Amino acid sequence: MDAADRTGKNRAADEAGGRREGRKARIAVIYFPGNNCEEETMVAIRTAGMEPSLFRWNEDPETLEKFDGYVLPGGWAYEDRVRAGAIAAKEPIVEQIRKEAAKGKPVLGICNGFQVLAESGMLPGLGTAGKGTAQGTHRASFALAPNRNPFICGYYCTWIRVKVSAGKRNAFNRFLKEGQVIRMPIAHGEGRLVSKDHTLAARLVEKGQVMFRYCDVKGNISEDFPVNPNGAEQNIAAICNSEGNVMGMMPHPERANFMRQLPGMQEGWEEAEAAGPGRPIFGSMREYIEERQGAEGNPGEGP
Amino acid sequence: MNAVDADQIVAVSSMGDEELSRFLKDRVISLTLEEVRSLPSKLGRDPTLTELHIFNIQWSEHSSYKSSKKWLKLLPTEGSQVILGPVEDSGIVRLGAHRGETYGIIISHESHNHPSQVVPYEGAATGIGGIVRDVLCMGGEVIASADPLRFGDPTGKNRDRSTYVASSVVEGIAGYGNPLGVPVIAGDVYFNGSFDENCLVNVVCMGLVKEKDIIHSYAPEGADGHDLIVVGKATDASGFGGAAFASLVLDEKEEDSNKGAVQVPDPFLKNILIRASRQVFRELREQHITAGFKDMGAGGIMCATSEMASDAGFGVDIDLDRIHVAMDGLTPHVIAAAETQERFCWIVPKSFSPRLLQIYNDEFQLPLVAKGAKASVVGTVTKERQYRLSHKGKVVCNPPIDEVTKGVSYERPFRERGRQAGKAVLDSRISLSEPADCRSVLLQLLGHPNICSREKIYKHYDTEVQGNAVITPGQADAGVIAPLRGSSFGIALSVDSVPRYNRIDPFQGAVLAVHEAMRNVACVGAVPTALTDCLNYGNPEIPEAFGDFVLGVKGIAEAARNLYYYPEEKKKSPVPIVSGNVSFYNMSAKGSSVDPSPIISCVGVMKDYAKAVTSSLKGTGSTLVLLGRVKDELGGSAYLELREQAEKTDGTERAGERLPQMEYGEERNKIYGLLEAIDQGTVAAAHDVSDGGLGVTLAEMAIQGGRGIDVDLAFTGLRPDRALFGETPCIVVEIRQGKEEAFAAIMEKRDVQVFNLGRTTKEGFIVRDEDRKVIEATVDEMEDAWKNGLGGIF
Repeated sequence: MDAADRTGKNRAADEAGGRREGRKARIAVIYFPGNNCEEETMVAIRTAGMEPSLFRWNEDPETLEKFDGYVLPGGWAYEDRVRAGAIAAKEPIVEQIRKEAAKGKPVLGICNGFQVLAESGMLPGLGTAGKGTAQGTHRASFALAPNRNPFICGYYCTWIRVKVSAGKRNAFNRFLKEGQVIRMPIAHGEGRLVSKDHTLAARLVEKGQVMFRYCDVKGNISEDFPVNPNGAEQNIAAICNSEGNVMGMMPHPERANFMRQLPGMQEGWEEAEAAGPGRPIFGSMREYIEERQGAEGNPGEGP
Repeated sequence: MNAVDADQIVAVSSMGDEELSRFLKDRVISLTLEEVRSLPSKLGRDPTLTELHIFNIQWSEHSSYKSSKKWLKLLPTEGSQVILGPVEDSGIVRLGAHRGETYGIIISHESHNHPSQVVPYEGAATGIGGIVRDVLCMGGEVIASADPLRFGDPTGKNRDRSTYVASSVVEGIAGYGNPLGVPVIAGDVYFNGSFDENCLVNVVCMGLVKEKDIIHSYAPEGADGHDLIVVGKATDASGFGGAAFASLVLDEKEEDSNKGAVQVPDPFLKNILIRASRQVFRELREQHITAGFKDMGAGGIMCATSEMASDAGFGVDIDLDRIHVAMDGLTPHVIAAAETQERFCWIVPKSFSPRLLQIYNDEFQLPLVAKGAKASVVGTVTKERQYRLSHKGKVVCNPPIDEVTKGVSYERPFRERGRQAGKAVLDSRISLSEPADCRSVLLQLLGHPNICSREKIYKHYDTEVQGNAVITPGQADAGVIAPLRGSSFGIALSVDSVPRYNRIDPFQGAVLAVHEAMRNVACVGAVPTALTDCLNYGNPEIPEAFGDFVLGVKGIAEAARNLYYYPEEKKKSPVPIVSGNVSFYNMSAKGSSVDPSPIISCVGVMKDYAKAVTSSLKGTGSTLVLLGRVKDELGGSAYLELREQAEKTDGTERAGERLPQMEYGEERNKIYGLLEAIDQGTVAAAHDVSDGGLGVTLAEMAIQGGRGIDVDLAFTGLRPDRALFGETPCIVVEIRQGKEEAFAAIMEKRDVQVFNLGRTTKEGFIVRDEDRKVIEATVDEMEDAWKNGLGGIF
C-alpha cells in the first residue's frame, strides 16, 4: 500500500503535531541504496507534525534546498562497502546537505545516518580554530568502529538506556531534560565511537556536544557491557555539532516513537499508540524549524 | 506444433538403456529411463537437450511434488477467511477491514535445508531471499519473518561441523534479513544427532496487502501479446539444478560439486528491487493495469514463465539472447533454468513496458547498483499454448506448455509405523526412580540447548525494524506486530514442531505441532486463523520414511480439522493450511532420516493488539492457575531424554510410545477460553507448557518477570517429577489482580478445567508437594542457567 495509507494516521499525534497554522516543516528523508529504515522514520516525522518526503540518492541535489530539515535514516547505505557510511558520505547530496546545515537547518543522522555524518566529517563539527567549522572538515575525525561486545560478535539488536547529557538548548533536545534516562533500541554492528585523537571524546563531553550516553536503569554511566553495548568511548551514543543543528545518534528514536514499540505491554490502545521516548527528538526538530521560520518573518511561505 | 531445430534433438529413442543412462549421468540429468522414454510420445519427436534439462527440473520432487501431491489433498485448505489458498507463491488470509478496505496477510513457508548444510551462510541467506520474493510478488509489503531451525548435536561426534553450521546459518539469516529490513518476530531451534548431516533451515515470511491490490503470479486476462520482462540480477550459472539438488541425498564426496547448486545472495540489490517494485505496484494501481508478477526460484526463468502463462491458458515465446546474462557462453538450458538470486518476472501490457523499464533501470539504477542487473523484455505471451525458447536463432525448446507444468505423479509405497494411540500403554510402565533433587533437574533442563534462552540467536537479528513491533522474540510464545498503521489490528506468528515427539510417533508429533502452534498464538491473545506447514522428511523412496510423511500429513489434517477456527460464533471451520512446502531426502549419507519434522506455523489475528499479553509475571501476590489437567504422560519429554542419557539406558522402552494425548474438545475450550479471558482483560501473563514441562514454564515466567512464585502441585496427584516435567499441553496463567472472579466465570462458561497453582511472590522460586518443598531456588540462579545454555554454540 502507499506510504500515505500506512503513515500519519495517528489522530492524537496529528493533533498534537499539527497545532501550528501555516505550512508544515518539510523534511527530506534521504534514501541511499541500501537504507532500510526510511518508512518508519517518515512515520516518526509525520507524527511529530512535519511533512516527510523520500529523497532518492540520484535525484538532483540542488532540489534539496527547498526542504527545512534533513534526516539520514538507518540501514546499509551502499552495502557499507569500505566502511559503514564511507561511500554515501562522498555523494553530492551530502555536500548539498552540508551547505544547508551551514544555513542553520537541522540535520539528523540515525544509525547508518550517523555513520555517514561521521565519514563526511560533518560531525563532530567542533567549530574551533584549526578544526574547521561547525559543518565539519571534510575529514572523518572519529569512527564508529565494530562493536566490542562480549555477548554477541557483530550486529547486535537490543533495547538500551541513554542519559540525556546535553549542554545548551539545540535543535534536538528542546523536550528532553538534562539527566533524563530514556529507552531506545540499537541495531548495529559498528557503533563504537572511537578516535585516534584520544582527547576527542572527553572534549566532546566537556563542550556539551554529547547528547546521549549509554547508562543503566538508574542513569549510572558504567563502561561495562551490557550498559555500554558497543564499547563506545565515554559511553557516547549521540553527538551534535557545536551549533547544535547537526546530530548523529546510534539508537533508533523512530523505533521508540510509540509506546507499544517498547518491551512490555501497555494498557489499552490509546496508551500503546501514545508518543514514545524517541518522539521528542523529532518534536524538537519541528519546534526549532518553526522558530527559525518565525525569526525570518515568513512562517507560512513556501520556498 | 512442437517444431524445433533438428540439430538440437537428442535421439533418445534410438539409444539403448545403457547408452541413455550414461548420457544422462554425464549431463547430470536425474530423470529415470522410464521418464525419458515417455517424452517422445508427449512431444511427437525426440526431446532437445534443453527440454531434457527442463523436464529434469520440472519432474524433480522439489518442483513436482510427485510423491506428496496425493497426500497433501488430505489437508484442509479452505475457510471463509482464506483469500488465496496454497496455489501460488504464497497463501493469503483475511486480516479484516480498515477504512473501507479489506486487508490480507500474505504468508509463505519454505525450506532451504540442503543448501544450508553444504554452504550454511549462503544457504540460509538465499532461503530468506527466496521467501521474501514469494511474499513480495503478491503485491504487498513484506512485514515479518520467522526461522525454525534444526541442527546437529552440539556435543555429539559431529559437533564441530554442527556448531559451525548452526552459527553460520544464524549469521546468514542476519546477514541477509537485516539489510532487507524485514524483522524476525518468531522462530525455534532444536539440536539433536539426527540432524548431524542434514540440518533443517525453514523460513516463514508474512506480508500485508489490500485485497483489491493483490497481484497474481499468472498472466492476466487477455494477455496475448503482453511482454515478458525479467528483472534483477544478471543470469549466471549459479544455482543451476538447485531444484534437482534439493531432491537428492546429500553425499559428502560430492560436496564440492553440490556447492555449485547453491545460489549467491545479494541483499543489497534485493533491498533496491523491493523499493523499485513498490513503485511499479503504485503506478499499476493508478493506471488500473492488471499484471502478473512472480518470483524466480526453483527452475529459474523456465519454471516462472511457464507457470505464469500456462495457469492462465497461454503459451510463451522467449528469446534467450534477450535475457541479461553475467557471462558469455552460457548454454540455453543454463540460461533458462539457472536459479540466480534476486530476479522476478513480470507480464505487463506492451504499453506499460517502457515505464516499467524506466523505473528499474533509470530511477532505481539497477545497472549501477549491481553489475549487469536490470529489467529486460525477453519475450511475449502467446495464444499458442507452446513453451517456445529460441537461442542464437534456433528453436531449442518447443513442447506444449502444459506438458512442462503439469508434472508427474507417483504412488509411492509406504509403511506406517504401528501406533500406540488408543491402547492402554501407561506411563507407569516407565520404571523411573524419583530424582533426589528436582531443583537440579530443573536447572539442568533450563540450561539445555533445546530449552534455554534463545537470546544468543535472536539478538543477531533485527527484530525492531519497520517500527511495527508489539511483542518481539523472547517475551512470549508468539511474536506480535501491528503493521496496519492507524488500525488496532495485531498479527501474531508462532512456529512449532518437537523432533523428539515425531521420532516416537510421527502422527501424534504432527498433531502436537499443530496444537502447540495454535496454543502459542492463543497465549498472546490472538485467534489462530491460518496455518502453514513445511514437511521435512527422509527419502520418499524408502517405504518407512514415506510412511512417516503420510502419518505426519494425516496428523496435521486431523488436528487442523478438530481445533476449529470460529469465523463467527457457532460457525466452525477447520484452521486452513494456506501455504506449505515439502522437503524430502533429509537424511545422512548412510541413509538414516532426520527426525520427522512437520514444522507448523500459525498466524493469529487480534482486533486490538494492545490487549496482547506476554509470558512474564507482572505482579506480586497474583494468582497462578493451570488450564487443563496435568496427566501422567512423561513419554517424549525432555526430562525423560535427560534421564536416559544420564543413566545410559536404551531409551526405546522408556521414551515411551505414549506422547501427550489430545482431547480435542478440551483443547478447543482451553484455546477459546483463554482468548476470551485475555480479551476481557483478566490475564496478566500466559505461557504454554511444552519442552521441559510445567517446571520450565513457571521458571521462564519468573525469570522474564523478575519475580518469584510459591506453588503447590499436590492437586495433580502425581509424583512431583512427573507433575513438574511431564509435557501435557496445559497453559499457565497469571490472573490480573482483582479479575479472579471474572476469569473464573469465563472458564466455567467455556467448560475449562482450572487448577490453582499458587501465587506470585517478590522473589524466590518455591514448588511444594503439600508440606514438602520440592524445589527452592533463586530466580537469579535459574536465570544464569537459562541464559547461558547456548554459550558454546553461538
